[in-house]
Amino acid sequence: MTPAYPQKDALRAFVEHLKSVPQRIRETAFRTGPPTTDRTRSTFVFGNVFLHLHAVRTHRWSLRWSTTAGLGIMSVSAFLITLVTGVLLMFYYKPYPEAAYQSIKDIHFVVPTGRLIRNIHRWAANVMVVAVLLHMARAFYTAAYRRPREYNWLIGIGLLVVTLGLSFTGYLLPWDQLAYWAITIGANIAQSPREVTDALGITDYFDPGGLQRLILLGSDQVGAEALIRFYLLHVMLLPLALAALMGVHFWRIRKDGGMVRPAEADAILARQRHEETYPVFTEAPAKTYQLAAIVRGRTSNVGRGPENTVPSMPHLFYAELGVLMVTALACLALALVSDAPLKELANPSVPENPAKAPWYFLGLQEMVSFSAFMGGMGIPMIVLIGLGLIPYLDRETEGTGQWFGGPGGWPLVRLSAVIGLCVPVVLESFAIRFGWLREWFPKIPQLIVTAVNPGTLLTLAYVLFSIWCIKRYQSVRAGALGLFTCFLCGFIVLTIIGTHFRGPNWMFYWSPSDWPKH
Amino acid sequence: MKRNKYLLLISSVAVFLLLCWAAVAENYLKEWRRIQATGRGEEGRIAVQLRQVVNNNLGVADRCVSCHVTMGPGEQGVRGAAVLMPHKPAVHDPAEYGCTVCHGGQGQATEKADAHGRVHFWPEPMLAKEHTYAGCGTCHATLRVPSQAQMKSAALAFERLDCYACHRLDGKGGTVRPDKGGMEGTDLSRAGMTGWDQGWHAKHEAKSAAAGAGPWKTAFRPVSSEDQALLAVFLNTRVAAPKLVAAKSVFHSSGCLGCHKVSGVGGDDGPDLSKAGYKDPGQVSFEHVPGKGEMKDWLAEHFRAPASVVVGSQMPPAPLEDSEIQQLTFYTLSLRRKELREVYLPKDRIRAVKFREREFATDGETLYGAFCAGCHGREGLGRRLPGLASFPSIANPDFLAIAPEALLKATIEQGRPGRRMPGWKREDGLRGEELSAVVGYLRSMSPAAVEADGRPPRWVSADWRSGKRIFESSCTGCHGKDGRGGEGPALNNKVLLAAATDTYLVETIRRGRRGTAMKSFLESSPVRPVLTAGDIESVVAWLRTLEGGKK
Repeated sequence: MTPAYPQKDALRAFVEHLKSVPQRIRETAFRTGPPTTDRTRSTFVFGNVFLHLHAVRTHRWSLRWSTTAGLGIMSVSAFLITLVTGVLLMFYYKPYPEAAYQSIKDIHFVVPTGRLIRNIHRWAANVMVVAVLLHMARAFYTAAYRRPREYNWLIGIGLLVVTLGLSFTGYLLPWDQLAYWAITIGANIAQSPREVTDALGITDYFDPGGLQRLILLGSDQVGAEALIRFYLLHVMLLPLALAALMGVHFWRIRKDGGMVRPAEADAILARQRHEETYPVFTEAPAKTYQLAAIVRGRTSNVGRGPENTVPSMPHLFYAELGVLMVTALACLALALVSDAPLKELANPSVPENPAKAPWYFLGLQEMVSFSAFMGGMGIPMIVLIGLGLIPYLDRETEGTGQWFGGPGGWPLVRLSAVIGLCVPVVLESFAIRFGWLREWFPKIPQLIVTAVNPGTLLTLAYVLFSIWCIKRYQSVRAGALGLFTCFLCGFIVLTIIGTHFRGPNWMFYWSPSDWPKH
Repeated sequence: MKRNKYLLLISSVAVFLLLCWAAVAENYLKEWRRIQATGRGEEGRIAVQLRQVVNNNLGVADRCVSCHVTMGPGEQGVRGAAVLMPHKPAVHDPAEYGCTVCHGGQGQATEKADAHGRVHFWPEPMLAKEHTYAGCGTCHATLRVPSQAQMKSAALAFERLDCYACHRLDGKGGTVRPDKGGMEGTDLSRAGMTGWDQGWHAKHEAKSAAAGAGPWKTAFRPVSSEDQALLAVFLNTRVAAPKLVAAKSVFHSSGCLGCHKVSGVGGDDGPDLSKAGYKDPGQVSFEHVPGKGEMKDWLAEHFRAPASVVVGSQMPPAPLEDSEIQQLTFYTLSLRRKELREVYLPKDRIRAVKFREREFATDGETLYGAFCAGCHGREGLGRRLPGLASFPSIANPDFLAIAPEALLKATIEQGRPGRRMPGWKREDGLRGEELSAVVGYLRSMSPAAVEADGRPPRWVSADWRSGKRIFESSCTGCHGKDGRGGEGPALNNKVLLAAATDTYLVETIRRGRRGTAMKSFLESSPVRPVLTAGDIESVVAWLRTLEGGKK
């Protein structure tokens, strides 16, 4: 190597280098120069480890608020917020019974801003559950699961399950009465296959329910073992799983061609007037697209030009950061207004009545009140498998990228919503007013109750309606629209009943204020 | 596409503003900060910081001293807001013991409502001011507390003998009077804890004899041995918490231990009361309780009318005056009995738990009051309450005059199997000499002399068949078919039949029991036939067949 300066100037060179350190750091960081032009911004995006998951250019259709409503980014944002606040909470939290409760008390009362951080963590977790559910609904209603995004839909279902798992495992950590009894309910749901094995009289030989509960709790009751298990799941295994799945999910978005958009998206955009238009390139292309032209295969961007796209930086990043800040704002505002609950210290000898699971499981708990197995395991499994099958059964193309696209469209969704809301209301009203099989025939075999209860009847009604949709519109997509809408509405109805209308001993009350005072 | 930019801008600004607000609230708006900011110590302003008393042996980390600053360790003479003032002089320095051990409440909390525990989901609200001394029960168990009547006469004895002339007790007495009477003698407020000189009387006499003039000459007169015994009772219970001890004496006159346990002594019919003072107001129904939903209201109402507060309660209501109800409430609130590490286990608890000393005095009257009075009444006249089986009148003179010693003893020792009367000869019940003390006290409740019975326990040899016929026509109305009991007591009870002599049974039927529905069967009555002596004996003979094995 030849020194840039003669040797006698080494000292001066040292001083020069020292002076230019800030500039050099900037230069080496940006490598291709500061991101001031579209080109350097593009190179900046794909040269950056965090940003290169984004395409350097984003289709204008993807940036419309109505395309995604930012729900995916909102889910990620909520996750990031829980991640940051969660790590902060870990500094003070002690995963051991009683000590756990005391440490939450300390976080609430003594740790500077501890209460706020905990509140944000709790609200962000709830926002995340809601955002993930809505994100799934968005993807469904815009038929975004279709080719080539089938597999990413499956990953998304995995993300939904892990999200619920994260939220559920976090529920136990405060070790208060609320936590203890909610997890007791959850563990009993895990044990619910016993309802069937007991009815068949084979529990002694084959007891998957008991095993599931044992694996979940690490003991035969909710105790120190369960707490450390839930803690480990909550702070390590599930976040890692979520992060890994998220990585795949995002990577697939790019590989599958970005946000779904209808075939006529470019035409629609061209018809609309914009306050400003972006030229495709602000300077002459420095690269040709010959390389892309020789790529073969089904990769989505093959053979497509950059028309109607804008540089991801800054346009996409404004949108993403905007959603992040809106999410943060929502969590922060809720955290300032409403404290995360903390009841009495967990006490195994004083059962909470009613003991309720976290709100997003109360629909399941409502069905569990009729049959633990069907409500807690059977129907959720059917729903998850059904969700997973959707992209492989619906191979149509009509309506992709459009809200409520496909045969039937919005009128069908509207009809499905009415049916989806009415059937569970009628079934529940009947069961609440007149009781169910067990009340009429106390000696009826359990298997019959397991098979015939409001939960299974509801599922059956939805499935029949969906089959009718397929026949009526001669389209699998129509059946999917009907079924998904129905289940969404059923989830909402049952969750509201479980949350608001169920009191001590899971009796029906018009309002929690009517509950007997102990 | 500009709207994304504005979305980012507006939401960022809003987040920033909310964070600023949160920072202000965190650093300037906390109540304890504002209170401490008013504080001025000897060197000017005091440091505004979270303060706490930590005592790992007691399991406390009390942040109460963040507001009540001067009660904390090493703080003196801080002036400012009213809550900064120091604690009243107390045996247990709050700077060492913390606050919640005695007062209850939530020590971890740093906000008033939470700290005082008057919030949802905190099971242990702070004790009200008038119940502060109930906090003593967290660690202490005052020993040998007599019944209410005895306590009263002991206190009166102390006053009557003018011990206050020289001795200070609970802030009274022990001062030189204007007439030069009295003097500043020993403070006896805690004599029950520190112990007291058993030979005090002889020493007092000697000093009085030696003194030429002054209080020793004028104020002291020899004290009779009965009065000395009363003073001993009184001094043993002086633990600087006179109201709590008085309340405990009410407890020991109301018979609660007959059904409830306290620290392992008492009956099993009702719930264990050892930690009743920690009862969570969030876990009981206040539906039929007047007041503001505080535990003291619940307890008081529960003593007055148990079944209306606790559905299905079999507890007889306490026939007490309101002041006594309040005292019972107070004592129940003091039943806390926290598990403690050895270093902090007070002597009285050690004596009660390890050496099994009694918390009640062991004379017959107190034992009767503590174990029996709830059901049989303070006067022993029995109780008849709607919805409950009637409780027999055991102080009835007609009963006591003929009841053989063995019957009384067996009944107390073995109870009445199948009924609510438990047997008391057991580990968590009464000990040998205590059982005889109760029998002795029972005897003393009646002025009637015990009639000697020269006959053997079983002498009746009449025909039980005619006895059965007579029983069915004359007795089943009250005593039930086959003597199973009804309005009147069951007669087929094994313990009764084993211990009752024939004389006792015959005499009971002959004379009846005045004041009860059981009239003499020798007297004519419009509602039942007169029985001859032979009839009575055959009835007794039939009763004997109920013992089983003979028929």
